[in-house]
Amino acid sequence: MIGRARALLRLVALQASWTYERMQGIGIAVAMEPLLEPLTPYPERARAARGRSAQYFNAHPFLAGAAVGALARAELDEEPGERILRLRTALSGPLGALGDQLFWAGIVPATMGLALIAVTLGGGLGAVALCVLGYNLLRVLVTWWGLRVGLAHGLRVAHAISESWLPKAAPRAGDVAAVLVGAAVPLLAAWLLRGTGQPLRASVLVVAGAALLGALTIRRPLSAPALTIGAAVLTLLWRWSAA
Amino acid sequence: MSDPTLAALMLWAIVVGLDLASVLQGLLNRPLVAGAVAGVILGDPGAGLRIGAALELFALDVLPVGASRYPDYGAATVAAVVMAAHEPWVTALGPAVLLGVMLAQIGSGSIVVHRRVTAWALRRTAAALDRGEPGVATRVHVAGIIADLLRSGALAALGIGLATWLARVPWLDLATARALTIVAVAGGFVAAIGGALRRAGTARRIAWFAGGMALGVLGLALR
Repeated sequence: MIGRARALLRLVALQASWTYERMQGIGIAVAMEPLLEPLTPYPERARAARGRSAQYFNAHPFLAGAAVGALARAELDEEPGERILRLRTALSGPLGALGDQLFWAGIVPATMGLALIAVTLGGGLGAVALCVLGYNLLRVLVTWWGLRVGLAHGLRVAHAISESWLPKAAPRAGDVAAVLVGAAVPLLAAWLLRGTGQPLRASVLVVAGAALLGALTIRRPLSAPALTIGAAVLTLLWRWSAA
Repeated sequence: MSDPTLAALMLWAIVVGLDLASVLQGLLNRPLVAGAVAGVILGDPGAGLRIGAALELFALDVLPVGASRYPDYGAATVAAVVMAAHEPWVTALGPAVLLGVMLAQIGSGSIVVHRRVTAWALRRTAAALDRGEPGVATRVHVAGIIADLLRSGALAALGIGLATWLARVPWLDLATARALTIVAVAGGFVAAIGGALRRAGTARRIAWFAGGMALGVLGLALR
C-alpha cells in the first residue's frame, strides 16, 4: 500500500523529465521504483527491471498509472523482458488516445467552461476554487484507479481497460465540454464587453464574427494569437496615423 | 508594488509554470485560475478574473497532446494582471491581454529549451540508465524539475518586469485602449470558437456546441 501511494505521488510529476528521445520514459522509471522494491533481494532482476523501466514511453499522464502498475506487475511476475517491452509499446497509443479524449478534449474544457459560466453569473473566486478542487480530485482518483487496474491485471491490462467505464466515458466528456464551452461564449462576451459603450451590439458582432472565422478555418486552423497581435498592430497604426 | 506582493507574485508565477507540465497539471496554469489568484495577491480580484477569463479563451484553443509545442499562459497571465490591476478595466483589458498572449508565445519557446536541457542530461546518463544503475533516473528527473523551476522563474521575472514597466508608461489614449480591448476579446473568441469546432470533429458534437450557445443566449435574455 505504501509503495502504491509513493508511486501515485511520483506520477503527479511524471512529465518533469519529458524529452523528445524517451518522452515520459524517465518519469515512468521514477514512478515504478517503489513498486519494484520487492526485487531488492534479487539484484540482477532489479537491475534488468530498472533498465527496462527507463525506456521510451508516452501516454496521457493521468492514465500512465495503468502502465506503471501493469509493467511493475509483469516484472514482479517474472514475465520475459521482451514481452514487458512489447507491453510498454502496446500501451502507449491507447492510453494516450483515451486520456487525450477524456481529459484534454473533455474534462479540462468542460471544467473551464463551467468555471467561466459561474464567474459570469457572479460565482467569483469561490466558483473557480470549487472547479479546481473537483478537477484535481477526479484527476487523482483516475490515476489511482489506473494504478490499481494495472497492478491487478499485469499483461492483460489492455483488456481490463477496454472492458471498463473508460472507453464509454471518453466521448461523453467531449459532448459535455462542447455544451459548456458553447454556453460560456455568449455569457462571457456580454460580461467582458459590458462598459465598452454598446455591450449588446458589440457582443453580438464579436461573437458572430468569431464564429464565422472559426467555422471558415476548421480545416486550415488560424493562429488566433497571431491574428490578434496582427489586428492590434493595425489598430495602433490606424489610431496613431489619425492622431 | 511592495516587496512582499512582488515575492508572492513571483512565487505564484513559478508554481503555475511548474503546473503546466512538470508537476501536478492541476489547472493552476489555466489563465482563469492563475489570473484569479494574481488578482487576490494584488488586491484587485475583479481584474484578475476578467484578465484570466479573456486569456482563458485563447487557452481553450490549446490541445497539449503528445510532443506538441504549446503556449505557457501561466506566468503570462500573472504579468497581464500586474499590468491591469487597479486600472479602469475597459481600457486596461486589451493591452494587458495582448501582453499576455505575446508572453505565452515566449513561454512556448522556453518549454522547448527546457526539453533540450533535460535531453542533454539524459544523453549523459543514457548508458547508466540502460544498465539499470540505481538512482540515475531519479537524478535526471530531479534535474528536470529544477530546470523547469528556473524556466518558470525566468519567465515570471521577464513578464512581471515588463508589465510593471508598461503600466507606468502612459502610451495609449482612451479610444485606442478601448479599441485594443475589443480586438483582444474578439481574438479570444476566434480562438475559443475555432478550437471548439475543430475539437468537435463531428456534426453531432458541433450540434452540442451550438445547443450550448443557444442555452447561453437564453441565459442572457432571461437575466
